[in-house]
Amino acid sequence: MASDVDGTPLVGRDDLVATMRAALLDDVAPGNTAAVFLTGESGVGKTRLLREVGERLGDGGALVLTGSCLDIGDASPLHPLRQALRRLDADLAPPAAASVRALLGVFAEDTAGPDGAGALLERVSRGLNVIAGGRPLVLVLDDLQWVDRTTRQLLLYLLAGLGDLQLSVLAAVRSESLQGAHPLRRVLTELRRLRSVRVIDLAPLDRAGTEQLAAAVGCRPLAPEAADRLWQRSGGNPFVVEELSRDLRDGRDGPSDTLREVFLARVDALPQPAHRAVHAVAAGVEPVEHWLLARVVGLPEHDLLDAVREAVSHRLLVGSHDGYRLRHRLVAEVLEDELLPAERALLHRRYAEALTSAPGELHQARLAHHWRLAGEPERALPAAVAAAEEAERLYGYAEAHRHWSVAVQLAEGLPGADRTALLGHAAEAAHHCGEHARALALLEELAAAGTDHPACELHIRRARYLTAAGRSALAEAEYQHALDAADCTPRQRATAAAHLAELLLQLGRYADAGRRAREALALAEPVDGATTEVVRASMALGFSEAYRQDPDAGLAVLRRALATAERAGRPEDVALAYLHLAELLTGPLNILEEGVVVARRGAERVAELGLGRTYETRLLAIATNGLFRVGQWAEAEKVVAAALRHRPSGTDAVELLLARCRLSVGYGDVEAADRDLDAVATMLAGGGARHVIPLLTLRAGLAMWQGRHDVARHAVQRGLTETRSDDLVILAVLVWHGLRAEAEAHASRTVAVDDNAVRRLREIADRVAGRSERAARPVRDVVEGYLALCAAEVSRLDGADPELWARAAAEWDHRNHPYPAAYSRLRQAEALLARRRRAATAAKLLRQAYQVAQGLGAVPLTEEIRTLAGRARVALEERAPAGAARPAGEGDELAPLTAREREVLASVAEGLTNKEIGQRLFISERTIGVHVSHIFDKLQVRTRVQASAIFLRSRP
Amino acid sequence: MSEPVWGPVHRDIVDLLADHPADVPAVVDHLTKLQDLLVRLPPLLHSNPLADFNKLYLTITTSVLDGLYADRFVDPGFLSRLDVEFAARYFDAMRLWSDSSPGTPKAWACLFERMRGPDARPLPSAAAGVNAHINFDLPFALVTTFDHLESEPVDGSDQHRDYLEINKIFADKIPGLRRGYLERWQLLIDMLNGDIDDWYQGELIGYTRDVAWRNAQRIWRCRHDPHLHERERRRLDETAAALGRLLLSPLGAFLQ
Repeated sequence: MASDVDGTPLVGRDDLVATMRAALLDDVAPGNTAAVFLTGESGVGKTRLLREVGERLGDGGALVLTGSCLDIGDASPLHPLRQALRRLDADLAPPAAASVRALLGVFAEDTAGPDGAGALLERVSRGLNVIAGGRPLVLVLDDLQWVDRTTRQLLLYLLAGLGDLQLSVLAAVRSESLQGAHPLRRVLTELRRLRSVRVIDLAPLDRAGTEQLAAAVGCRPLAPEAADRLWQRSGGNPFVVEELSRDLRDGRDGPSDTLREVFLARVDALPQPAHRAVHAVAAGVEPVEHWLLARVVGLPEHDLLDAVREAVSHRLLVGSHDGYRLRHRLVAEVLEDELLPAERALLHRRYAEALTSAPGELHQARLAHHWRLAGEPERALPAAVAAAEEAERLYGYAEAHRHWSVAVQLAEGLPGADRTALLGHAAEAAHHCGEHARALALLEELAAAGTDHPACELHIRRARYLTAAGRSALAEAEYQHALDAADCTPRQRATAAAHLAELLLQLGRYADAGRRAREALALAEPVDGATTEVVRASMALGFSEAYRQDPDAGLAVLRRALATAERAGRPEDVALAYLHLAELLTGPLNILEEGVVVARRGAERVAELGLGRTYETRLLAIATNGLFRVGQWAEAEKVVAAALRHRPSGTDAVELLLARCRLSVGYGDVEAADRDLDAVATMLAGGGARHVIPLLTLRAGLAMWQGRHDVARHAVQRGLTETRSDDLVILAVLVWHGLRAEAEAHASRTVAVDDNAVRRLREIADRVAGRSERAARPVRDVVEGYLALCAAEVSRLDGADPELWARAAAEWDHRNHPYPAAYSRLRQAEALLARRRRAATAAKLLRQAYQVAQGLGAVPLTEEIRTLAGRARVALEERAPAGAARPAGEGDELAPLTAREREVLASVAEGLTNKEIGQRLFISERTIGVHVSHIFDKLQVRTRVQASAIFLRSRP
Repeated sequence: MSEPVWGPVHRDIVDLLADHPADVPAVVDHLTKLQDLLVRLPPLLHSNPLADFNKLYLTITTSVLDGLYADRFVDPGFLSRLDVEFAARYFDAMRLWSDSSPGTPKAWACLFERMRGPDARPLPSAAAGVNAHINFDLPFALVTTFDHLESEPVDGSDQHRDYLEINKIFADKIPGLRRGYLERWQLLIDMLNGDIDDWYQGELIGYTRDVAWRNAQRIWRCRHDPHLHERERRRLDETAAALGRLLLSPLGAFLQ
């Protein structure tokens, strides 16, 4: 709610202003993000505080962008940002404004493409980067409770650091709106946990503050009696305090007790022209520009100025450089009862007419709004359609859906209107913004309206919507209806069959999926240009074969599909074929090395085809995870860095951040891991339950390396309460983490073991084991690996059993995952040593584990191995004692270093700083620090100069 | 301002409420701590209206948690989110009441007001809390949960089945509400003659929870329209508050 700048002092908020400035600017490390969300009831002074803090941040060298969200349901996507940019444009000198104009231009362009919405986010953040020109950027947003979905996503994307921008967000939310079911509730609950975010609840003033403000407004202290009354009436709400004190000062202190009565009295006291101006603003979309108000009110220039001045001095209107607003919502409520419907319709007509001749901000949306309320559906309709199309261009499907729905309503009873087409658009937009039930209802209406509508197409669409809504049984039936429909073209038949096969695959009905997929392939092959269908059906067939224990057949099908796609040449088909092939290899088939090769080759190929941002990113994510599992972490790190350079958004971004975080947890780089976990949590605050569990698993893994076993326990418990019982792999991973946390707690004696938790974890492990017997082979294989770990961890709680650990090691060796295998060997050695048996075997195991851990760069695991070896007096490396003559072959000195460490050392020898090396190798400065300390350790040196000397000496 | 809202344990309660539990185990933990504080409130040590409700709520939430671990639900992700969202609204109401905010939902305020007496019977008090929580909080918690999970309140879905499963937990844990009590409650509601016109012969919790599901579907349809949404919220608050006041009135005593 905007109030005017009229010199009333800011009372009782000094500390808060300082805190916010620090949180948003001074304490933000370069390149990081921060946010403050200010909640409070209306009138408590949020807007005022935003302005004050915004000014301080501007003085502190930040570039401040200010916008507000609108409460008309038919606003357009990214409105607050566009408004902020326009305001900045008006403030800047022309040359500086060029970058702002360029970004504003982005909103007018067509960004259609496979990842249009993501590409738009990326272009916006790039544009903001240019505008900021190296300065910290602050986005100040008022009335965030009315924010559109696209802006919300943009904020989370930027706050997650994906925009590569030092950005702070300062936003005000009206707390009344957060009651009920507002989507921001969830977002704020998730975000408030992060270190970089604060949610500040702005309380009303206390009694002293109330009196201080009243005295400032009234220019003298209040009499005790008046002060009492003011305190009781205002409850410390600054807006009310100010209004009441003003009336008191001006001798207007009537019997009016409520703010509503105060405003009512003021409206009554208004001269006629001012009255008209206030009514006109109330009917408009705020802010109402001066020229527009002039057209609507129709007063001569001077009279209008007088009228507006009068309304402002009665504190009913607020004027600012971009137009007029009502001072408070209550003004609108008071005015509402005064106007006859015909009068109101007339005002809307005037607005619509004025806007028709002069396009401006929110042009189409406003036109539709006013024409509709003016009672002119046939003129409102084209504007609503144009507004919907504009929203779709910016991927604001929620807004588009609303405009289409309005259009459908308007078209009712209009003879010339094509209501069927409008229903079709409305349904599709509803489907895109996740309003599944609404999409289906619109489709029903469409089916009922147009009797000649092709049946097959309707069935396919209905099935698509039902699948998106997760109502698979109904979707399956609809695809069947589509296949049975008389008007089904061969192409449509292939499409329906391929989708059906995919659906059955997702439901785990592999035999049915395979049958349908074969059918789809047979249907698609004779149809010209049905490559997409071929690829989709091949995927379903390939995976279902793999799950039904014929991996070679499945692989052959997907290879063929890739060849078909390459021949047909449609880039998306090629990309999808690569994606499915790589997923099959690294997933159910566990042929990791080949999967990684395919993924990387695919990534190169799709980049050539111009699909870098989307499919290249996804393929590289697959490669990263594969490389992590086969133990090529340094390589994985490079790949993930390359993928992130595309600034992906949404799910792609989350998966890459999780992949990178997995590496950081393995390396023991707590800070980098925490940063990625926070970034993922920021993204997930906007929705996406699917990735919560991997996030929790990583959090547990990290906490255990830090010795915070209770934190790990909590993360696992949360995961267990949120996982479906048929997600066997996820459950097995969680249970292992949970049991390991308890075993570590037991071993370290820092945290008490939770017997209840152990009992529960064992129960779940048994349940998973029982269910996995009936699961497909690839699933069973993975689950068995984790269950072996579970059984072994349990044994740690009462006298570790080396045999169980040997079995776990064998499982993971067999699966070709060196990291868990090395971990198992460490534990096996530990168990053997504890039983004082077979010390030689234990030493051998430790050395094997050590070599692997060293090779990976797995710092915490290496540390544990070293500690145990130290205690057991096991020499981990057969190295000559210090000071003795070095063995022949100088190059051997670098032998203990991993490939990555050697790369780092080469840069150290060039004299680069950690930061510079980090930039060169695409990894964090912090990780470089870890590598360097490792290098020192292995080379047994203390300085960079000594390390460089060894490097230079041993170069061939 | 005069005496703090939560008397001698005000600071402790405010500190506890500063935390926002994010999962079901944390909610149970939170309710347990709250129970320890609430029973220390004068003048009716060990039995005050809010403690009576909180105790019941803790019992039910603990059963939900056990159910989650014991594979009782089809879509635990949904049920966990719902449980957390649901509890958050109770904690929000307490937080608003702590700040003496006029924004405290009326449905809750009528129970909070009775903290200092006059004496209210435990059963109607617990029922008043259940009333506020189910009739007012639950529909909104449902809508937020579905919104966050990018899903929808659809009859017959997995989520709907899980939701109904909770009714069994309620039925197990509130035998007192099932027997004898119900008929008299129904009588009261008939006298109220308010929004509830489609009362049917069934169990109280099952009935109100069904109303909550229908209300959630109703809010779902208007969730993008701030004005309609706010109107709906007020309507539910008024209805729940009217029922709550009735339960806590001398009339409510005859229920026990």
